[in-house]
Amino acid sequence: MGFFGYAGRILDVDLGAGGGAGRALIEALDAGDAMQYVGGRGLNVARLVREIDLDVDPLSPENVLIIGTGPLDGTLFPGAARVNFTSKSPQTGILGDSNAGGFFGPELKFAGYDQVIIRGRADRLSYLFISDDGAEVLPAGDLAGLDVWETQEAMLARHGRRAQVACVGPSAERAVRFSGIFCNLVRAAARTGMGAVMASKGLKAIVVRGTKPLEVAHPDEFLDLIRALDGRILNHPEYRIRVALGTTRLVSALNAAGCLATRHFQTGRFEHADEVSGERLAARLRVKGKACFSCTIPCSRFFEVKSGPYAGLKSEGPEFEGLAAFTSRVGASDLEAGLATLDICNRAGMDAISTAECVSFAMECFERGIISREEADGLDLTWGNIGAVQTLVRKIAAREGFGDMLADGVREAARKIGRGSDDLAMHVKGLEIFMADPRGIKGYALGNAVASRGGDHLRSEPSFEFTQDAEAAVRRFGAREAAFRLEQKGKGRVVKHFEELCALADSLDACKNTIVNMEVLPFDDAAAMLGAATGFDFDGAEVQAACERIVNLERCFITALGVRRADDTLPRRFRVEPMPAGCGSTSGSTVALDEMLDEYYEARGWDVGTGVPTASTLRRLGLDEWASRLAERGVPIVDR
Amino acid sequence: MYDLRVVVDEIRGFCDLPMHVGDYFEVSGGRITIPDGRHMCLWALQSILPMLPAKERNIVEDNDWLSDTVRVACPDPNGMVIFRIERVGEPAGEGRKEHDGRTGRDACSGRGPRPRMLVNEKLCAGCRACELICSFTHERKFSDLLSRIHVDKVDEDGIDRPLVCRQCGNARCVEACPNGVLSRDPETRCVVVDETLCSGCGACADACPFGAVAFHPETGVPLICDLCGGDPECIKRCPTGAISYGLAGAIGEARGHGAGCASGKSAEPVPSGTAK
Repeated sequence: MGFFGYAGRILDVDLGAGGGAGRALIEALDAGDAMQYVGGRGLNVARLVREIDLDVDPLSPENVLIIGTGPLDGTLFPGAARVNFTSKSPQTGILGDSNAGGFFGPELKFAGYDQVIIRGRADRLSYLFISDDGAEVLPAGDLAGLDVWETQEAMLARHGRRAQVACVGPSAERAVRFSGIFCNLVRAAARTGMGAVMASKGLKAIVVRGTKPLEVAHPDEFLDLIRALDGRILNHPEYRIRVALGTTRLVSALNAAGCLATRHFQTGRFEHADEVSGERLAARLRVKGKACFSCTIPCSRFFEVKSGPYAGLKSEGPEFEGLAAFTSRVGASDLEAGLATLDICNRAGMDAISTAECVSFAMECFERGIISREEADGLDLTWGNIGAVQTLVRKIAAREGFGDMLADGVREAARKIGRGSDDLAMHVKGLEIFMADPRGIKGYALGNAVASRGGDHLRSEPSFEFTQDAEAAVRRFGAREAAFRLEQKGKGRVVKHFEELCALADSLDACKNTIVNMEVLPFDDAAAMLGAATGFDFDGAEVQAACERIVNLERCFITALGVRRADDTLPRRFRVEPMPAGCGSTSGSTVALDEMLDEYYEARGWDVGTGVPTASTLRRLGLDEWASRLAERGVPIVDR
Repeated sequence: MYDLRVVVDEIRGFCDLPMHVGDYFEVSGGRITIPDGRHMCLWALQSILPMLPAKERNIVEDNDWLSDTVRVACPDPNGMVIFRIERVGEPAGEGRKEHDGRTGRDACSGRGPRPRMLVNEKLCAGCRACELICSFTHERKFSDLLSRIHVDKVDEDGIDRPLVCRQCGNARCVEACPNGVLSRDPETRCVVVDETLCSGCGACADACPFGAVAFHPETGVPLICDLCGGDPECIKRCPTGAISYGLAGAIGEARGHGAGCASGKSAEPVPSGTAK
């Protein structure tokens, strides 16, 4: 059948087939799958659980890497620019899934693919060139060891500047388990080690150039809906601040709230926050605004350092996470040095959150005498010693000396170091948490604890808890406390709702800034937009059900791999150690997860004792087969 | 307009740069081209500069010295390098066809300046929304290949450069077309393509100094901005004001508002009161 919105095709590449030449098949998108899982993250996980043996070794040829776009990618929909990379994670051992903005996703649509499945392993270092007609596996021996920027440059020189490149850096070639896949140099699908999976398949880069026009089912209606959405975005009270600062505003905002990760979460206020804030970056170094494909909010930025020791450093970015990574998190107050460190991390192709956690974890271990200077290869890992931080980041990327100890992620590092260091490893399910202290944001705390890919804020982004809108909290979530960040009541329902909005954004492969944080696309509007684009007859409840189905399928996947309620937790510090004095209203606060978890599981229809979806929930969502599949693996399934 | 060649005619003093007799550079429209590997004296150039726009044009003032003057000296009293300004070839540009030989004015300018597509690439965020709305407006499809505007991007330098027809006063594309396919809309001054006559030879694209002419992937005819009849959709969609439609000189106002907003002030960073 002909598709609208969707490209209508799936590309299936086996890198190892044909005696090393590779084989690419094109299959039609299944319309039923599309309506059940929307696209992007949803269609990817649905395909992943069909393709792999759940116990597969993530870095083996038998694992698959799935690239997914959404039905709005490539259209005028603001921020429908993203692309999801999904696999079994070599970092966490559970769900691997990460998405990136920029221009790669839409280009894949223009080449005519909603999804690309990559299986097997090339017999030599290769890159994949995807066009309207299929894919070619081409030799990439000359790209070995090149950083992300060099790799993109080489690929564009070969395929033209209108091509788009997703590539891995040298860290992925060395199987650093938190290496990512990078598009447009700095737009990273950074989380859960998708770069390591790609590199394990012998793939250095994926280049795509598409020339097929994309059509929507009802162009006039679609344009009307886009214009209405434009209005909601432009008139949103956050519009101007987002254009001016994007997510970098969070350094000063979270610092004011007393929950900016400072010196590895030892406190929530950084005395030098003003020197490394988004406002300072904008005033001193920002050259201009930057945007992803088709976006009406240019919330990113291009910066250039014009003087001092880092003169000449220029790049798009950073986002909040990158800005705080090598400043407050490691206790360093030099903005330019922090950006230079992030640049090292980006070019090496590593996740800035995980890298900054590994480094700051090592610094706290060093401070407490858990590791000695000798063990740290002679590095003086005192807070704020940015030179040592830069050296350590390079060592991690190269798996050299002490860096090798950290290159499997903080959970593994703590296991290898021992000596009680696991209490200091700030991860959930093996994935390191971002630069906001959960003690000051209880909804985010719960979101991190239950997220399907491990400790991560982007699975729920419950920013509603900052609104202080008690009336809306009662109306929407049944508890006035839900609108206040330090309160816990109602947060289970808040997180459930925002997990589904995140699933919507990730499955449309559009941006969470608009859909989740600004809430400009409620499910009814999403259904209308999807209807106009695809011609499918969606209603709001069906779209939300699809999102709920995605969250539940991911939960099935990770419960099948052993995740239970006890794993939905947070590092000890956040549960036990009150936020120190000097952090405003956040001081004295800890996270009491149990009551929030009870409420969350109830809202989800999961068994409160185990955190496993009940059989009736699975039936309601059309995931019946998982009741038996989980039971076969010894997962306790409750039917009620 | 004429293309010019400026040649070192004679050296009466001593030039230590050095310039040599026979050294030259060329002027075409607003561009100066110096041959590969050669150089041009900064001081001499600044003394020649006022002559160049004048010598590119027909000069019809009676008894004016400009029309007959072809030699200019460098300002260095010890150097006394003398340059000769030559007109090269026939006058170029569509203007010659409309030229009345007396006033040097083209046929439309009597009605005053017209709005044009103005570009300020320093403001461009590179989102390519202009390409999408252009393609959608004209073809009901989304494709950069069907767009009349393109954003040339260099990620590593943060360069985002919108390439679009600027409605040049003296359009090289119109003049270059061997088949007379291109003409000007009398109202908007946009370049109009007569698709029935076009052979798809590409001469217009080669002639365009802004790289703004692409070709339809199926029909092969040039895709040249038609200004959407005088209210360009891309302008309305641009979130930064990098492209605008107005009189030259009004260029450069950033706007923090985006699609659908006609105007607005620059979005200055402001302290954030609430976290997200």
